[in-house]
Amino acid sequence: MIVYVAAGLIALLSLSIPVGIVLFLIGLGVDAFFSQFPLIRGLGNLVWSSSNSATLIAIPFFVLLGEILVRSGVATRTYSALDRWVSWIPGGLIHANIATATMFSATSGSSVATSATVATVAMPQAEKLGYDPKLFSGAIAAGGTLGIMIPPSINLIVYGFLTQSSVPQLFLAGLVPGFGLAIGFVILTAVICVIRPGLGGERRVFPFSEMVGALKDLVPIIVLFTLIIGTIYKGWATPTEAAAVGVAGSLAIAAFFRGISVPMLTACLSGTIKITSMIMLVVIGASFLNFTLASAGIGYELRSFLEDMGLSPLMTILVVVLIYIVLGLFIETLSLMVVTIPIIVPLVQAQGYDTIWFGILMIVLIEMALITPPVGLNLYVVQGARKSGSISDVMLGAFPYVLVMLAMAMALIAFPQIALFLPSVL
Amino acid sequence: MTQDFLTAFRRLNGVVAILVGALLLVCAAFVLLDILLRQVGSSFGGTDEISGYVMAIATSWGMAFALLELGHVRIDLLRSRFTTKGRVLIDLGSMLVLNGTVTLIAVQCWPVVATSVANGSTANTSLETPLALVQIPWLAGWMWFALMGWLTFVGAVLLVSQGRFDATEKAIGAFADQDALL
Repeated sequence: MIVYVAAGLIALLSLSIPVGIVLFLIGLGVDAFFSQFPLIRGLGNLVWSSSNSATLIAIPFFVLLGEILVRSGVATRTYSALDRWVSWIPGGLIHANIATATMFSATSGSSVATSATVATVAMPQAEKLGYDPKLFSGAIAAGGTLGIMIPPSINLIVYGFLTQSSVPQLFLAGLVPGFGLAIGFVILTAVICVIRPGLGGERRVFPFSEMVGALKDLVPIIVLFTLIIGTIYKGWATPTEAAAVGVAGSLAIAAFFRGISVPMLTACLSGTIKITSMIMLVVIGASFLNFTLASAGIGYELRSFLEDMGLSPLMTILVVVLIYIVLGLFIETLSLMVVTIPIIVPLVQAQGYDTIWFGILMIVLIEMALITPPVGLNLYVVQGARKSGSISDVMLGAFPYVLVMLAMAMALIAFPQIALFLPSVL
Repeated sequence: MTQDFLTAFRRLNGVVAILVGALLLVCAAFVLLDILLRQVGSSFGGTDEISGYVMAIATSWGMAFALLELGHVRIDLLRSRFTTKGRVLIDLGSMLVLNGTVTLIAVQCWPVVATSVANGSTANTSLETPLALVQIPWLAGWMWFALMGWLTFVGAVLLVSQGRFDATEKAIGAFADQDALL
């Protein structure tokens, strides 16, 4: 069954049928060929129960927050402030992409929103300053993935929801690996640009006074981060409710900079609805596929496959990592999480691994899936913000960053404390 | 003429999107107020439940807007290797599959609502929300999605029959061509 499902996914996706619809079709196929019961009767109820969710409303809230920051000019100011601080490193402005993505990850719950935010403000600069589009756009796609690792994170909320683990603990566990990845990206970019200077742009050193002056433009984002994370850890709000606090905070910041107008607000709202509906079609399709796969016994099939191999705990984890890398090439990331959590997490727990730790490892692998073709949502988001050029530029440019993520995944396996230290002391 | 209709559909859905977005904003305000109230030891109760309903309705009504704005993710690795004519044929095929599936979804959602109406079902919560009240607008959104899909498909077929492939691609093309619209 697994083979048929994978082949069907690849075939239908390559026909350019929308991803969410493909998931529905595969679900219908599983129902027709592999299930004893007519699962289609559950379709209506599933569509209702998967969209009637107070947890998922965090998605439009976090997207809206990002839209407000971009359209009120706060994002542009943050980007140019970080440019003052990091453009002396070989690779120049590419580091500003990574730094901005990191900061926005700390206010945004989604990678798509983070990369869309950074791509919108950064792309015009790349053309103006003559950067090689490959590495430049690849860095945005990779930096954007930090959105689901550095709290708040929609994916960690979904993971916590499905595995019944503590979302605040997951958020704490994501901090060190998230910033670790960001530093890894910066080092890698610098190394690449020292070896091949043509890939980066001009290094620019700004006068110290200008650097200090730029610091004030970072204040809004830091305030917003404190607001969102603070309300969660003070116990005042659930992570989902904190998203609503974030929306209010970003509106207040936009108002402070006089960035609010009626056309700006309507543009934010319609942009939010567009992105939310896009994500939700995939989530609803994935829930249906998940339901049909579970009913047709994929969990049993996978588990007996893994148990038959008689692997040690370490080997099991490595096989799981491999499974995610391969599936991540083809399956959209939220769907990948939703589909695999019910099967893989019990398996990993049975081998004695920590659920919080595995959540973070999974997020690293999901981040990788976001920038590996053919199905890597961030690649398409960044391409969407470019005015010209081919998607393969972005894919190539993102590849070196995949290696950093792989290194982080291995580091997490070797030293679980990278993730578990903060939750254990706080 | 055909193009005027397609433009009109897009505008109409633009208005729907803003209204739905405004609903989300109201919901956020409601949640915020509830957090503040809890600080003084009070609460509306049931904000979670209401957020869920808002999410379901916002999602279903936003679908058609995302469709007309070419927002639903499609993989165009193969598609992008074709000429305009080939791409338009792929787009028409993909649109047909999408419309068929969405229509099936809307049909399958109908019994959910019909049961709630027939039994007068209420949510299993302290609010005891009559489910029909929130499920009817939700179902209407999916029906709207199907309707808009079919109308756009007919428009696209008409454009193709007039040999206007470029215009068709702008109406039903893929993600990467987004900028042509903005």
